[in-house]
Amino acid sequence: MNVNDSSPSPLIAAGQAIARFWKQDLLPLLADLRLAIALLLAIALFSISGTVIEQGQSLAFYQENYPESPALFGFLTWKVVLALGLNTVYRTWWFLALLILFGASLTACTFTRQLPALKAAQGWKYYRQPRQFEKLALSARLGQLPDAPIAPFDQAEGLLKAKGYRTYRDGDAFYARKGIVGRIGPIIVHAAMLIVLVGAIVGATTGFLAQEMVPSGQTFQVQNILDAGPWSAPQIPTDWAVKVNRFWIDYTADGNIDQFYSDLSVVDPDGTERDRQTIHVNKPLRYRGITMYQTDWGISAVRLHLNNSPILELPMAQLPVAGGRIWGTWVPTQTDLSDGVSLVTRDLQGTLLIYDKTGKPVATTRVGRSVQVNGITLAIDELVGSTGLQIKADPGIPLVYGGFGLLMLGVVLSYFSHSQIWLLNTPEGLYVGGRTNRAQVAFERELLDTLTALETPQAAQG
Amino acid sequence: MDLVSLQNWLDNCAFAVLLVTMLAYWIGVSFPTLTWPGGVGTTGMAIANLAMATLLGARWIEAGYFPLSNLYESLFFLAWGVTAVHLLAERMTGSRWVGPFTATTALAIAAFATLSLPDTMQASAPLVPALKSNWLMMHVSVMMLSYSALLVGSLLAIAFLVVTRGQAVELRGSSVGTGSFRDRADRLRLAQQVNGATAIAPSTETGGVAVLEAPQTAAVALSPQRLTLADTLDNISYRIIGLGFPLLTIGIIAGGVWANEAWGSYWSWDPKETWALITWLVFAAYLHARITRGWQGRRPALLAAAGFVVVWVCYLGVNILGKGLHSYGWFF
Repeated sequence: MNVNDSSPSPLIAAGQAIARFWKQDLLPLLADLRLAIALLLAIALFSISGTVIEQGQSLAFYQENYPESPALFGFLTWKVVLALGLNTVYRTWWFLALLILFGASLTACTFTRQLPALKAAQGWKYYRQPRQFEKLALSARLGQLPDAPIAPFDQAEGLLKAKGYRTYRDGDAFYARKGIVGRIGPIIVHAAMLIVLVGAIVGATTGFLAQEMVPSGQTFQVQNILDAGPWSAPQIPTDWAVKVNRFWIDYTADGNIDQFYSDLSVVDPDGTERDRQTIHVNKPLRYRGITMYQTDWGISAVRLHLNNSPILELPMAQLPVAGGRIWGTWVPTQTDLSDGVSLVTRDLQGTLLIYDKTGKPVATTRVGRSVQVNGITLAIDELVGSTGLQIKADPGIPLVYGGFGLLMLGVVLSYFSHSQIWLLNTPEGLYVGGRTNRAQVAFERELLDTLTALETPQAAQG
Repeated sequence: MDLVSLQNWLDNCAFAVLLVTMLAYWIGVSFPTLTWPGGVGTTGMAIANLAMATLLGARWIEAGYFPLSNLYESLFFLAWGVTAVHLLAERMTGSRWVGPFTATTALAIAAFATLSLPDTMQASAPLVPALKSNWLMMHVSVMMLSYSALLVGSLLAIAFLVVTRGQAVELRGSSVGTGSFRDRADRLRLAQQVNGATAIAPSTETGGVAVLEAPQTAAVALSPQRLTLADTLDNISYRIIGLGFPLLTIGIIAGGVWANEAWGSYWSWDPKETWALITWLVFAAYLHARITRGWQGRRPALLAAAGFVVVWVCYLGVNILGKGLHSYGWFF
């Protein structure tokens, strides 16, 4: 029976159909330059939308700014914004899909265009027919040079080697080329971009981001995690903590902030110090794949004493005022807490304003001074700052940095123009022709100079 | 003379010289028979370039750090870059069509910096903590140089569009495909010469055998087909953008690495970095449009001309929004 022979054929046929579809339809489409250009411009366009529409705001914000009537441009209501994900463009599935399609296009282009073009460039041929020269725009036939003092090929070799060409000769034919790295550059660029994309995916899935606000003198473990990839758990440190020995701000002579500093110690659970570093903006702490950046600051408490009391530490809170940040606390001046003053400051420079119960300013004071309020002596000993740290682990960084390095190398190499020059010695004269893929103007000058130089011995004879 | 009054004198001087330069260039293209405007233009550009370099140098000495920390300094750095790249492009093309566009742009930048910025924004100020890093020089200077090159490249594309307006364009200067080969008209001329030769051949030789050998006869006078003005503008526009693109890439990457070292994220979709990426994407599209068969000529040039606007949005527009990490030195 033929049944056994024919039964696997639908599967094979389907496989062949898929293979044919892949090779004849999908691959050429992916490698099509017009698709690549469309993708580049589409990514640009959607990126623009993310800079025009505010990203990551609250629902109320979009309801207020993109009302249903009148709708912006007639269609852009908050419902449309949220439904399309225009409030978080760079994280929507369709934007990520666009990036993946872009990666696929890059890969397809590398294999169907760039590698064959490089292979063709490496597999050069001598031109042995005059008609091969006639196609080239930059070609000429020089009259015979019978009594030239140097053979024309020797002269051409000297001229072109001085211009950085590599020369080859075989009988009556001569070939010279330079700048083949210009054909390798774009391949490196494409590969580098794929490496960066992979690195970004690795980072997004295995990294985490956390923020902590820690007062001077306290020890903390990483807990306030804002963003974590699905496989990030092994990155989050559990067997060590960080102690903030001190946080301070240096000010310039005119009162502006010069730099923020945090003196940090990495400690064991039992308190033993393992490492100690002072960080500032642009100089983070690195320990076991975790990096801690100086990003924010605040004032956590004020230490003071009243008359002859021991030193009291009162927490300070940030006050909700527009324009600038202000911290404040309340200091009781009666034992039954029936009266007191408010202490307010805007930075760690040490100046504090004192307001009474009714909100009227009554005095200013500085750290280290004392002042009389409500009949008692209020002495400020210290303002305790707290440091705002951004804590991060990103295992994708080596890949991303590697991709960055290759990308820079690749774009620089891509500037080089691949130039080729052919010569053919015939009884009718010397044929010279050449072409290049990028620097047409510079190459024209180079070739015309070469032609003039090759003609010179003849002119000298005449 | 102290440094501050030297700076005031230099920025006015740069502005005045650029004004004369721009007028000279426009006279040059309006009256092609005149030869003096070219020389005046090139000299003016060179003087303005030196004046602005000295201005920035004086500020460097005065403030003690690389002069790229506020809008005034970055505008003059950009204008300096535009004049520098202009001198390069003019040398490469030898065309009087480069100057009118670049001189106008350089003048507009210098005028904005000198005339519209309030004095308080022109004075140098101490750096905010986030900018205190060696990466500042690396990242910002490379970005500004790339903007200069991309702007001049785009202006050359605009010059190309102006020169070829109303004409059919057949270019040879594209990087793959039709590049480097003789155009149709010239191939026809060669073919006619060959036919002419074959017509004579039978009479000198004996019989029709010579006809077969005709294409290889030496009768064809082969000489190089030179690039036209349109070819030259198009190709130098491509080369200058080709120079700006690696600089933009390196500048963005330097910014990314700096951001990662400073606050732990090499990419955060901040408006400025997003626009730098948009600029990169637009010029990447331009570079690919040039090697797309059948698209050579106006289409890439239009893309490059659009790139001119994109660079400006990236450089200034984003700061007008006043949001994000790059909102330094703007008065809104």
